[in-house]
Amino acid sequence: MKFAFYPGCVSRGGCPELYPSVLAVAHRFGIELDEIVGASCTGAGVLQEKNRFLGDSLNARTFAMAERMGLPIMTICSTCQGVMAQAHQRLRDEAYRAQVNEVLKEEGLEYKGTVEVKHMLWVLAEDIGVEEVRRKVVRPLSGLRVAPFYGCYIVRPSGPLGYDEHPERAESLERVIEAVGATVADFPGKTRCCGFPILTINEPASMRMVAKHTLEAKEHGADCMVTPCPLCHLNLDGQQPKAAMAASQDIDLPILHLPQLVGLALGLDSNVLGLGRHIQTTYSVLMKVGVQVH
Amino acid sequence: MQITLRVKRYNPEAPEERRSWTQDYKVDVPEDSTVLDSLIQVREYVDDSLSLRCSCRGAICGSCAMRVNGHAALGCKSKVQKLLGKDNVIAVEPMGNQPVIKDLVVDMTVFWDKIRQVQPWLQPQGPEPEAEYVAPNEAMQHLVGVMGCIMCGACVSDCTVLEVDKNFIGPAALAKAYRFVADPRDGHAKDRLGLYNKAGGIWDCTRCFECVQVCPKGVAPMDRIMALRDQAIDAGFIGSYGARHAEAFASSVEHSGTVNEMSLVVNTFGMFNLPKLLGLLPLAIRAGYKRKMPPLFHKPVEGIAGVRRIFHKAEEQQKAARG
Amino acid sequence: MLQHDVLVVGAGLAGMRAALAAKQAGANVAIISKVTPVRSHSNAAQGGINAALTDRGDDWKEHAYETVKGSDYLGDQDAIEILSQDAGRAVIELEHMGVVFSRGPDGLLGTRRFGGQQRARTFFVADITGQAMLHVLFEQLLKSGITLYEEWFVTSLVMEDGQCRGVVALEIKSGKLELITSPAVVLATGGCGRIYEPSTNGLIVTGDGMALAYKAGAPLMDMEMVQYHPTTLKQNGILITEAARGEGGYLLNGKGERFMDKYAPSMKELASRDVVSRSEQTEINEGRGVNGCVLLDLRHLGRQVIETKLAYINEVALDYLGISLAEAPIPIRPGMHYMMGGIKTDVHGATRVPGLYAAGETACVSVHGANRLGANSLLDTVVFGRRAGDASAAYAKERGHKNVSEAFVADEEARIKGILARSTDGDSVAKIRLEMGQVMNDNISVFRHEEGMKKAQTTIRRLKERYARVGVQNKGKVFNTGLIFSLELGYMLDVAETIAAGALARKESRGAHARVDMPDRDDANFLKHALVFRTESGPRIDWLPVTMTQWQPQKRVY
Repeated sequence: MKFAFYPGCVSRGGCPELYPSVLAVAHRFGIELDEIVGASCTGAGVLQEKNRFLGDSLNARTFAMAERMGLPIMTICSTCQGVMAQAHQRLRDEAYRAQVNEVLKEEGLEYKGTVEVKHMLWVLAEDIGVEEVRRKVVRPLSGLRVAPFYGCYIVRPSGPLGYDEHPERAESLERVIEAVGATVADFPGKTRCCGFPILTINEPASMRMVAKHTLEAKEHGADCMVTPCPLCHLNLDGQQPKAAMAASQDIDLPILHLPQLVGLALGLDSNVLGLGRHIQTTYSVLMKVGVQVH
Repeated sequence: MQITLRVKRYNPEAPEERRSWTQDYKVDVPEDSTVLDSLIQVREYVDDSLSLRCSCRGAICGSCAMRVNGHAALGCKSKVQKLLGKDNVIAVEPMGNQPVIKDLVVDMTVFWDKIRQVQPWLQPQGPEPEAEYVAPNEAMQHLVGVMGCIMCGACVSDCTVLEVDKNFIGPAALAKAYRFVADPRDGHAKDRLGLYNKAGGIWDCTRCFECVQVCPKGVAPMDRIMALRDQAIDAGFIGSYGARHAEAFASSVEHSGTVNEMSLVVNTFGMFNLPKLLGLLPLAIRAGYKRKMPPLFHKPVEGIAGVRRIFHKAEEQQKAARG
Repeated sequence: MLQHDVLVVGAGLAGMRAALAAKQAGANVAIISKVTPVRSHSNAAQGGINAALTDRGDDWKEHAYETVKGSDYLGDQDAIEILSQDAGRAVIELEHMGVVFSRGPDGLLGTRRFGGQQRARTFFVADITGQAMLHVLFEQLLKSGITLYEEWFVTSLVMEDGQCRGVVALEIKSGKLELITSPAVVLATGGCGRIYEPSTNGLIVTGDGMALAYKAGAPLMDMEMVQYHPTTLKQNGILITEAARGEGGYLLNGKGERFMDKYAPSMKELASRDVVSRSEQTEINEGRGVNGCVLLDLRHLGRQVIETKLAYINEVALDYLGISLAEAPIPIRPGMHYMMGGIKTDVHGATRVPGLYAAGETACVSVHGANRLGANSLLDTVVFGRRAGDASAAYAKERGHKNVSEAFVADEEARIKGILARSTDGDSVAKIRLEMGQVMNDNISVFRHEEGMKKAQTTIRRLKERYARVGVQNKGKVFNTGLIFSLELGYMLDVAETIAAGALARKESRGAHARVDMPDRDDANFLKHALVFRTESGPRIDWLPVTMTQWQPQKRVY
């Protein structure tokens, strides 16, 4: 199984621990990742506010490069996935695609509309399959209660994200949590917004979102939270101390990236997974699943 | 078809400890029934104390918005068959973000107050023409898409910002606001954009797509808010953190192809905005300690010249399209 | 006690237009509505609004004549002249207020064709014209600062010395009854479609104003004239706009034939509604239907037209039938849609009760006579709504305020207490409503005959007796929709009785009143309006000549 790998900006920026953990987990499953060299940012929805056509053109550039590689794209960020899926949907329209291709022409690129874009979560849940994930587990995370947190863009709008064809995607994160032997701590906020996009604009509201979701997850028994979105991670982990302060309440909920959770169950080294590089310590999780911390 | 409606009920006249409860109604309904049909059947033949609003049954009056299986929807547009969960149960609750009056009936006073806040009436400039205003059909056609809003409140119900910040004008009112900004007959676009640019306005949207997802009429409020943002910047409202963030983001992509988180923060807050930048220090220190820092030197992607060319072409096209 | 100069009951198009006019005339105005204004059923008007704009070569007289012909000569021609002459101004006014009417390539208002008219003079907003107008009038209402009693239900009119002096109303949210006094009350409560099952009308359309006026002594007029719309969905009665045919849609029978060729060789699908509904019903009755329906075929219009100009009905077809209009024909059939009859008013909206006005579907001026043309109802609401607003404001100014006894509230409190005290064993409001709806739809519908209409009349009488005994399970005060439903049923039964009375009295066929036992129009004896008065022993019929100005009755051919 081989993918054109689109790591996005944050996996090597604000969440540098994500990138190596993805590589390690992919390797265990025999997923070959061929990075799309020179791919740009998807626009993250921000560029699209300003100029949607610009965002679509940049994504079409990435799609064309993957198409040339003859591979489907794998993303590791809910936001990248969502923004690409929306662009992908619009680029199905031939007239619109021609318009975008006009812009790509000078770069010697043309997007023919054949690329598939898949988040690592779906690759694990659908292509590898939860059964195979379960088989590869060497350190079942039994007893660990994990709250799923999807990130908006991998959930909505459901049309471009293929939920009509794949209704099971609505529970893909839960299925992976169960496959690695952990228990799902379901809570109402799992598909809500983490607050990251308004962090610089309306910080109090952003902090209330962080506090609300993390505290709710704890109320529902969570030992930790897992997310397939590094932007959510930036807020839920990075801003957790501030959110706790604003809420005048301790939170202390470790937030794991999806490959970190899976990697733990695969027996991967916690340092390789970057579990020591979070703002909110993951120590309690490691203790609970019996990992020696050095 | 035998189904169970699991209805969240509320009766303010009951003793405090029995005001809220969940009630299961088992009803036999035809296969093509909607959730509203089923609720009406309950109300008419099982329990007339179940209160809900409804009228047209055809998704045009906007009365019957409620949460169905956890998400806001019109009862009359929700087909039972598509919603049946385990044991043929469908969960029905009142809308969110609005106080409940009784059962599925919520108090929409705040909803309408927010609509009022955007000055929701046409404000033409100058004297009225004798005949109609001359306006391109495309512009009117575009507005029909927004006028399709039936003010049902579904978007407000599931708005993630309103959940934590009551000050936000919210998706329905901002979509309504857009309807006037985009109307060629309205003469006060700039004043309006100034009004909507304030705190609680267009920049407070978190782009979570909830409103787009739940809107039963395809109004896509969030897209309208994004259009208002763009037009606000165009109209010269560039001082807000939101506008500065959007500009900083674009310039980062333009220069390096990817996002430079360091410069993004500095450019959004401003190099000399010491209080804001100092506020980031604790996180920066913690992150530094955990080796959780973006690289200090942000390298452009391979083929950055191409990215920039695309960037400029797309920007030019947009400018040309707007005349 | 709450006091206003003009109190408008109902916040649909007619009500809001009346309130705005009264406000502009300087009156202290309030609107009272049992639903939030934008929930009103004006929303469901889809196709458009008629107007002969003279600056583009149309002639109001042509519009007036076609309206007279459409009414099967039962419309009052002085009122129809006002309607047609004022139409252009009314449409331009709506455009100035902000309605996003469709345009032509020149940026001027565009038109589409509608039934019963040779010329395209229907102005429209895709297929959501009513919704677009309703929301724009609501914007104007917000701007005006008119007092709004939202979700208040009128339980009775306050009558003193033969004059209407206000209303007693229930605040639904609190369950509190209040007296609101005003020297002038305008009823704009819409039709009474829920008397029928099925109906295109929303569940709130329960004839409240008609029943209130009737009880107060104002006569209703031409109540037997019930319009069956040719294109409604079988399972829930939802409307499919006439614009579908205006844009060029075909009606096909089970054999795939465009059967309207036979019945209306010249206008075909765009003959007037009574004609098309009868033709469809004939096809169905003679075995050329498809499961009790005929087919509406829009495929040849193409996706572009369907998705821009008929987007809402496409959404309806997808939601309720799972059919895209661009891909397959949909089954439709005639369904109860509109009341040509209503509270008898003059051209200023005045009823025969001093201080009481009416406008819109609840009123009968009469501009629609025995059959309304499509896209004339929206026009009726804004033209006569405005006139009723002006006239009521002037009346209120002239009469001034009078003190009204609070005893009116106590009476209503006692009545409601009585309803809540009744037993709920066995019988229910819903059962009575359903039986009423079915008997009306079976017997006073597209085709009628003496025996059936009598059956309906007897059944309604019996249902009224049952209604007097039936209670409500919900004993609470807050948002007691069970109680409201019960009060509405009372209104509907009263109005249903007048429909049956009018239908039995009219011993001819005219417009929507098509009797198989008396198939011919009888101008010698029935070129007149049927007025229905309330008496202790039931409805009493009186007759009123039709006002004719320039058009003499002719044979009606399309």
